[in-house]
Amino acid sequence: MRSLREYLRLYFIIEAQYIKARMQYRTDFLVSSVGMFFTSLVTLLVFWVLFNSISDLAGWSFMELVFIYAFYMLAISPMQILFDHIWQIRFHVIQGTFLKYYFRPLNMMFYYMSEMFDIKGLTQLVLGTILLVYASVQLDLAWTPVRLALLVMTLFSAALVIIAIVVMAGCTAFWVLDSYPVLALAWRLREFSPYPMNIFEGAFRFAFTYLVPIGFIAFYPSQLFLRPEEVSPLVFLSPVIGVGLFALTYKVWTLGVNRYSGTGS
Amino acid sequence: MRSYLALARGQYMAGIIYRFGFLFAILGNVVYMGVAYFLWKSIYRNSETLRGLTFDQAFLYIALGSAVFILLKTYTDWYMAYEIREGLITNQLVKPLDYQLYVLFGNLGAVLINMTGITLPTLILLFAVFRTPVTWGVGLLIFPFSLILAFLVSFCFDYFIGLMAFYTDSNWGLSMTKEIIITAFSGALIPLQFFPESLQKILLWLPFQAIYHTPLMMVTKPDLGLETFLRMLGVQALWVVVLFALTRLFYNQAIKVLRIGGG
Repeated sequence: MRSLREYLRLYFIIEAQYIKARMQYRTDFLVSSVGMFFTSLVTLLVFWVLFNSISDLAGWSFMELVFIYAFYMLAISPMQILFDHIWQIRFHVIQGTFLKYYFRPLNMMFYYMSEMFDIKGLTQLVLGTILLVYASVQLDLAWTPVRLALLVMTLFSAALVIIAIVVMAGCTAFWVLDSYPVLALAWRLREFSPYPMNIFEGAFRFAFTYLVPIGFIAFYPSQLFLRPEEVSPLVFLSPVIGVGLFALTYKVWTLGVNRYSGTGS
Repeated sequence: MRSYLALARGQYMAGIIYRFGFLFAILGNVVYMGVAYFLWKSIYRNSETLRGLTFDQAFLYIALGSAVFILLKTYTDWYMAYEIREGLITNQLVKPLDYQLYVLFGNLGAVLINMTGITLPTLILLFAVFRTPVTWGVGLLIFPFSLILAFLVSFCFDYFIGLMAFYTDSNWGLSMTKEIIITAFSGALIPLQFFPESLQKILLWLPFQAIYHTPLMMVTKPDLGLETFLRMLGVQALWVVVLFALTRLFYNQAIKVLRIGGG
């Protein structure tokens, strides 16, 4: 087993090469960043338009929703930036090129995901940070060192939740080959995570909390900062859910990888 | 004409292969409608009507809008960009076919696939599960025609972005930007009535509203009167003519930069 440090060093070498190669296509980077910018803000635009007619959404003010949205953008950017290669897995599995990942003395998930570093995802990271600071100032949130530490922790586990959901959806390629429909569904569910979860009732709330826990990507953890007095005990579950879900996903990945037998060519 | 219809049929046949995908698309749409139901329920928590729409009307608008969205999602621009980038477009250029019509009829096949595979099942679920009431009005009769025009307008945007592949390889960013601008400003995600007055006026002058706002209004407010609907239909038709002409001109320019090195 290689050490974590060695993996980090390797990761930087691989990504440095990748970024150099991508930088040949500067306009592509620019155009995709613009696309990413608009894509990131569309749900926020809907909220903004809605608040012309309403004063609060299920008890949440517009600025509170901006905060939740900023949290969401920060939580999903590690998945966008570091795990974007999951979208290609169906091509590799169908065409048999996935076999190459078995032949290096590296962790396979690490090796596979390291092959892509989504530069345009950085737009989301920057935009999320700006919005988070802006909403914090507008809402007059007091950021103590303890709270900042909590923010990093909750963001980390939220990022694990969304990574786990999307990677697991991509892993279905090992069983059904074309995993695009499953991925697209996971992608769609992800878009509901900045909604206030208290608007949902019954089966929907249950599903978004326990089944496909998108509530833990943004809404539950950001309550810790918006309304610390009325935090639900669910929030303290979020690190457990993040780590647990990722462990489960890794298990599924390993099962899939062991099951795959190439295309025979 | 017969050869173009064969294209649509071919695309339809090719699409049926991916039945597994339909299931997930339907599931995604049903979840979306559920989310929209709860979202709009809480928006209407304190009021009977907002911006002249009742909850039932607003929900019908959003749910039907998502069904139309799926219907028009044909990935034509992605496919065109792929064909142009890989040089496969030569296969079409050597045939005695008009390229715009070639793409249009392929697109039509894809729309029909979406309709039978995703849109109709979703709509049946919409009325069975949510029991959304639809009021009777002359708008319902005009809706199918408006939907066809909406399809043609949407096609023009896809076709235009597809043609951009003659100039640039970065179709991801272009396609995403196009999709977002259309969904945001056409009233696909939220009825245009909810936009601030001044913005609304601008949006009604742009072609995007012809894709979602116009046909969806005919179902949500079917009693606006025949004259209003005919005028809306006229505006749609005008956009179709203008956009078809513009993209045709653009094609004549774009095709000149094409260089394919053998193969």
